[in-house]
Amino acid sequence: MSTETAAPAVPMVNVQIDGVWLQFPKGTRVIEACAQAQKFIPRYCYHPKLSSPGNCRMCMVEMGMPKMTPDRKPVLGADGKPEIAWIPRPQISCAQDVAEGMGVRTGSPMVEEARKGVLEFLLINHPLDCPICDQAGECRLQEFSVEFGQGESRFLDEKVKKPKNVELGPRITLDAERCILCTRCIRFMQEVAKDDVLGIVERGSFNSIACHPDRILDNNYSLNTVDICPVGALTSNDFRFKMRVWFLKETKTIDVNCGTGANIVIGSRENTIYRITPRENNDVNGVWLPDSHRLNFKYVADERRLTKPTVKGQVVDWRTATAIAAEILKAHTAEQLWLVASGRQTNEELFLASRLIDALEIQKQHDILPRKGEADGLLIAADRNPNSTGAKLIGLCTTKPGSRLKKLVEGVRSGAIKTVITLGEDLTECGLTADDLKKLDAIIALDILPNQTTPHATVLFPASAWVEKRGSMINVKGRLQRLNRAVAAPGDAHDDWEILRDLIAAVSGANGLYMIEDVFKAMAADHKEFAGLSLSKIGDLGLPVVTEKAPEPEPAAAN
Amino acid sequence: MNIPSELLEKIDEAIPHYPVSKRSASLPLLHLWQEHFGYVSDEGVAWIASKLELSPINVLELVTFYPMFRREPAGKRHIRVCRTLSCSMAGSYELREQIAKAAGIDLHGVGFHARNAGDDEHSNAVGKAAAVDTHNAGHGNPIATSADGKFSIEFVECLASCGSAPVAMVDDHFKENIKLDEAAALLGLQRSDATLPKLRPAHPREKRIVFKNIDREGWTNDIECYLHDGGYAELTKALGMPRVDIVNEVKASGLRGRGGAGFPCGVKWGFIKQDEKKPVYLICNADESEPGTFKDRYIIHQDPHQLIEGMIISCFAVGAKLGYIYIRGEFPEGAQILEKALAEARARNFLGKNILGSGFDCEIYVHRGAGAYICGEETGLIESLEGKRAYPRIKPPYFPAVLGLYQCPTIVNNVETLCDVKHIIKMGGAEYAKIGKPNNTGTRILCVSGDVEKPGYFEVEVGSVTMGELINDLCGGVKGGRKLKAVIPGGSSAKVLRAGEKYKLKDREIGLEDIPMDFDTLAACGSMAGSGGVIVMDETRDMVSTLNNINEFYAHESCGQCTPCREGALWMKKITDRVLAGGGTEKDPDMLKNVADNIAGKTICAFGEACAWPTQSFVLKFREEFTGKAQKAEPPPMPPEYTSDELIEHATIETILDRRTNSPLAPAATK
Repeated sequence: MSTETAAPAVPMVNVQIDGVWLQFPKGTRVIEACAQAQKFIPRYCYHPKLSSPGNCRMCMVEMGMPKMTPDRKPVLGADGKPEIAWIPRPQISCAQDVAEGMGVRTGSPMVEEARKGVLEFLLINHPLDCPICDQAGECRLQEFSVEFGQGESRFLDEKVKKPKNVELGPRITLDAERCILCTRCIRFMQEVAKDDVLGIVERGSFNSIACHPDRILDNNYSLNTVDICPVGALTSNDFRFKMRVWFLKETKTIDVNCGTGANIVIGSRENTIYRITPRENNDVNGVWLPDSHRLNFKYVADERRLTKPTVKGQVVDWRTATAIAAEILKAHTAEQLWLVASGRQTNEELFLASRLIDALEIQKQHDILPRKGEADGLLIAADRNPNSTGAKLIGLCTTKPGSRLKKLVEGVRSGAIKTVITLGEDLTECGLTADDLKKLDAIIALDILPNQTTPHATVLFPASAWVEKRGSMINVKGRLQRLNRAVAAPGDAHDDWEILRDLIAAVSGANGLYMIEDVFKAMAADHKEFAGLSLSKIGDLGLPVVTEKAPEPEPAAAN
Repeated sequence: MNIPSELLEKIDEAIPHYPVSKRSASLPLLHLWQEHFGYVSDEGVAWIASKLELSPINVLELVTFYPMFRREPAGKRHIRVCRTLSCSMAGSYELREQIAKAAGIDLHGVGFHARNAGDDEHSNAVGKAAAVDTHNAGHGNPIATSADGKFSIEFVECLASCGSAPVAMVDDHFKENIKLDEAAALLGLQRSDATLPKLRPAHPREKRIVFKNIDREGWTNDIECYLHDGGYAELTKALGMPRVDIVNEVKASGLRGRGGAGFPCGVKWGFIKQDEKKPVYLICNADESEPGTFKDRYIIHQDPHQLIEGMIISCFAVGAKLGYIYIRGEFPEGAQILEKALAEARARNFLGKNILGSGFDCEIYVHRGAGAYICGEETGLIESLEGKRAYPRIKPPYFPAVLGLYQCPTIVNNVETLCDVKHIIKMGGAEYAKIGKPNNTGTRILCVSGDVEKPGYFEVEVGSVTMGELINDLCGGVKGGRKLKAVIPGGSSAKVLRAGEKYKLKDREIGLEDIPMDFDTLAACGSMAGSGGVIVMDETRDMVSTLNNINEFYAHESCGQCTPCREGALWMKKITDRVLAGGGTEKDPDMLKNVADNIAGKTICAFGEACAWPTQSFVLKFREEFTGKAQKAEPPPMPPEYTSDELIEHATIETILDRRTNSPLAPAATK
C-alpha cells in the first residue's frame, strides 16, 4: 500500500478492494495487493518466488474493471469514484497485476462458493490421513478447510489410488495421494535449482509427481520442495515421523555452514533439534536453504560432546581450569605464545579473543583457519567460514585469512613458539602435525567435540555449539546478523564468550563484562561498524554494516 | 543404445521442422520410436531426451500424458475401437467384446476401473517407484493383448468418424460402419479393405463450397487434380494484395471460427500488428476431437490442397513465415497425405522461399498429436506443439495473438475456417457475407450422427436449415421411425436440447425441430452451434447412460492441470457410474448439478464448461430419469473407509443400526 510520504518509484494505481479505494504500485499482483490490504487470499500453487501457473484455483476473487463510456472514459459514481463492471465469473488473483480502477471482492458469496468448491474437489481424492501426516499442523489444506471449506463431504465414491512412499530422491519421499498437484516443487526445481528432474506423469485425476529413474531428485536444494509443498505430499526423510510440528519450539537464527549466513528457523523440543528450515530474508537467502546446510546439525547432539573442563585429561572444575590456563600463559613470554581463532566464532567471541591478544601482547601472533570451497552459484559461498568478515573487521586475521599460519608452523618447529591457544580449531588442520603438538609446552583449547588436537590439550574447555549461543556474525556481503540459542549446551559446557572473559580476567584482572550485551557494547566502542547497535537492534533480518566489496565472488541469493 | 540407421535418418529429418525449439520434436520422435519398436521404453525416453537436450522427465511426462504412446508392447495387430457416444450408440461396446472373443483376448479387469494404481506394494528403490508404478496406472486406455501376442485391443475415445459409427482403427487404418458380425474379419483386414467408403452425393439442400470436392467423381487428392480445377489461383491473387486488405476481406466476410467458439476470424487476425517485429506463427487446428464432429478428416484426405492454399494465404495475411498443421494422432494417413501435399506445393514454389516471386517466404510442417482432446484448446495445442503436456495456458496473460507459440504472436484456426479463407479471397468478403445470415455468414459443415437413418456431413448455408429439416429431410428421419428424444447440437460438450420443449427467442417461441442451425439462435436456445457435430437421440435412449458415456469421455480427457476439472470431471463420471449400477440416491441429481456448477467458469480453459454443460443440461432436462434410478432417498452416513462397490451392495442389504444412537452404521463388509 502506498504511504503519503514515500515518493513512489513506480506509478501508483487506484484499486478498490472490498469497497475501499487504495493505491498500489503498478506491477503489484492482485493477490499481493489484497494481502497488503489485510485481505488474505488462500492459495496453493502461487508462490511469490516462482512463476504463476494459476492451476489450483484457490485464489479466485470477484474482479471488475471500470465501466467505460463510448469514448473510453470511466463512468463515475455518486462518490466520484469509477463504477465497476464486475466480471460474472470468479478470477484468479495470482496471475494478474492490479490495474487502474480495478475492483476486487475477496469475500463475496461468489468467492466463498468458489473456494468451497475448490476445497471440496481437493479433498475428495485426498486420503485424509492427517493423524499420521507430518504436515499436520502446518498444512494449508487443513488450514484453508477450516477457514474456507465446508464441514461435510458429499463424496460417496471410490477414491483414486496413487503411488505412496515413493522415494523421489535420497532425502525426499512422495505420497502422491496427498499431493494437490500445485506444481510448486516442479517449478522450484526448474526455476530456482535449475535442475529439471520433477514432472507430472499420467493425466487428469491420475496425475502424479514423478521423476525419471535416470535423473532423480538428489539436488542439494531438494528439501526446499518439502518446505514449499503446501500439503504433506513431499516429506523430508530426515524429519518424517520424528515429531509433531506443533511441539516444536522455533528459534530464529542463521546458518553457519558458509559465509552466506542463510536465515533459518531451528525446530527443537526439550533440548533436541528436529529440523532446520529456511527463514525468509530477501537480502540473504530468499526463502531457500541448501540440504547440506540444513541437515548439518546432528553433530551438536553427538554423545562425544565435551562436557567438562579437563587439565591434562583430568576433569577439573572451571575455576581450576581457568586458573591453570592463566598460569601457563603468564609463565611464557609474549614471543612464545600464539593464538588460533576461528572464522566460526561470533563477533563477540572474536572481540574477546582480540582482548586476550592485547592482554598477552601477541598482536601479530594470531590468525584464523580459512575454509575455502566452491561457490555453487546459488546460496553456498566459497568461504565456508560463516564469519570471516567479522574476523577481519575485528582484526583476528589479515585481509588474507590464514596467511600467518605458516609462521605458526615455523615457530612451533623451531621451538620459538611454546604454547598455542586454539579457539575451536583443530591445529592439525592449521599445518601442524601430531609430533609438532607434542613438542609444545602447552595447548589451551576450547572446543565442542574431540579432534586431533584435543588429546594433546593441556587445558581443554568444553564450549557451546552455534545452536547453543547468542551472538552476531557478518556474512560475506557485510551483513550483520545474529545467532540465537535454540538448545542449551550439554553438561558443564560454557558459552564461549564466558570462557574467554574468565580467561582474560585471570590473565589481566577484572574486565566488567557480565552479559553478552556488555561485550557487544564494548565491541561497538572499539569498532565503528557496530556503533549504535546492540544484539536486539540487529533484528531478525540483520543489517548491512560493511560496504566494502567482499574479496570473493558473491553468492547469488536465490530470489 | 543402438539406434537403427533408418530410424535415425527419420529422426534427423524431423528435428529441423522445429527451427525454434528442438523440444517441439518430442512428439514426432516418440511417434517414430513407437512405430519402430512398437512401444516406448524407459531407455527410449532417455535416448529421446538426450537427443533433444532435455531432461528425461520432460519426455516421460509426454509418454504418460498422450494415450497413443505405449510403454509396453501391444499385439502385432492393434485394434482401437471407439468408445465414445455415437459409436457406443451404434454398438461399439458389443463390437469390442466380439473382436476380443474372435482374437482370444481376455478383457477381464481391463477398463476404467482398472486404471487405478492398485494396492500392490510399491518399490522403495530410489527414484524408481514413481516412474515404474505408472505403467499400470492412470488415464491410459489399458490394452488387452491375446496370449499369443498376435492381437491387442484398446478402447479409445472419439476417433472422429461419428457419422460412420461404429468405427475402429486397425493398426493405422480406419474401418467404418462395422457390423457386429464383421468383428472376426477385422483381425485379417487388408490395407485395401480399409479405404474410406464413398458417401452419397450432396443433398439438394446443401451448398457445397468447402466440401465441393469431397466424394466428387474423378477427384483425387494430388496437386495435378487440384491445379486442373483452378487450384492455387487464390494464392496468386492474395499474394498480389496488400496484407491488410486480406485481413479486411476476412473481416468483411463475417467468417466465424468453425472450431467451436465461433470467434470472428478477421477480428482474431486483427490482433496481430501489421508491423509486428517478433516472428508470427500460424497453426491449423486439425486436432478434430469434439465427439460428434467428423469433417476435417474428409478435407484432409480428399482435398488437402484446399487447406494448404487457405493456410498459405492466411500466413501471408498475418505475416507468418512458419506454420504448423497440428493434426490429431489418430489420423496417421491424413498426416501422410498432408506431408505429400505439402511436398507437392513446395515443389511448385507455393511454399518455400520467395513464393511465386512475391518475396514472401513461408514454410508449413505437419505436427502429429497423440490422442489428447485437450490439444483442441488452442493454448493446450500450443503447449503440445512446444513439446510439452497440453496444459492450456492462463489468459491473461497468454493470449495466443500476443504470447502464443514460443511466446510469439500466433494465430490458431480450424481446418474448415482456413478453407473458407480461400473462398473469401475468391469471391470477396462482401459476397461471402451474403451466404448465410447476418452475423452467421457462410456455410457450415454439419455432422450428424446417432439415431438418424442417414447420418453424415452436410454443408449448408449457416441457418438455412432447421433442426427438424436436418434430421428429417437431410438425414432421412429418426432411425426406425422412432420418436425424437433429444439432440446435442454442437459436439458433445454442447448442452442437450429436449424434444417437445419450447425455446424462447426474442420474438417468438419455437420447438426443437424449428431451431435454425446458426450460431446465434442455438445460443439463444441455451446451447451452441459449437463444432457442428449434431448427435441425435431417439426415444429408446437412456439419458443417464448417455451422460455417463459423455462423462467418461471428459474424465478421460481432462488434462488434470487445474483442480475443478481434474477432480470434478472424474467425480461426475463416478456418480453416473454409481447411479447406473444401482447405487443412486435422490440427492444425486442436485449433487451432479452442483459439482458441474463448481467446475464451469472456474477453470483455466473452456474444458471446464465442456465437461460441465452435459451434466448441467442432462440433469436439468431429464431429471426424472436420474431420480427414477435412485434406490435411496439419502446416502448412508460417511464411514471412514468404504468403496462405491460396498455402497451399491449395501443398497440391497439391511442397514445396521448403532445401538446407542439408533442411526445407521457404516455399511457392513459384504465381501
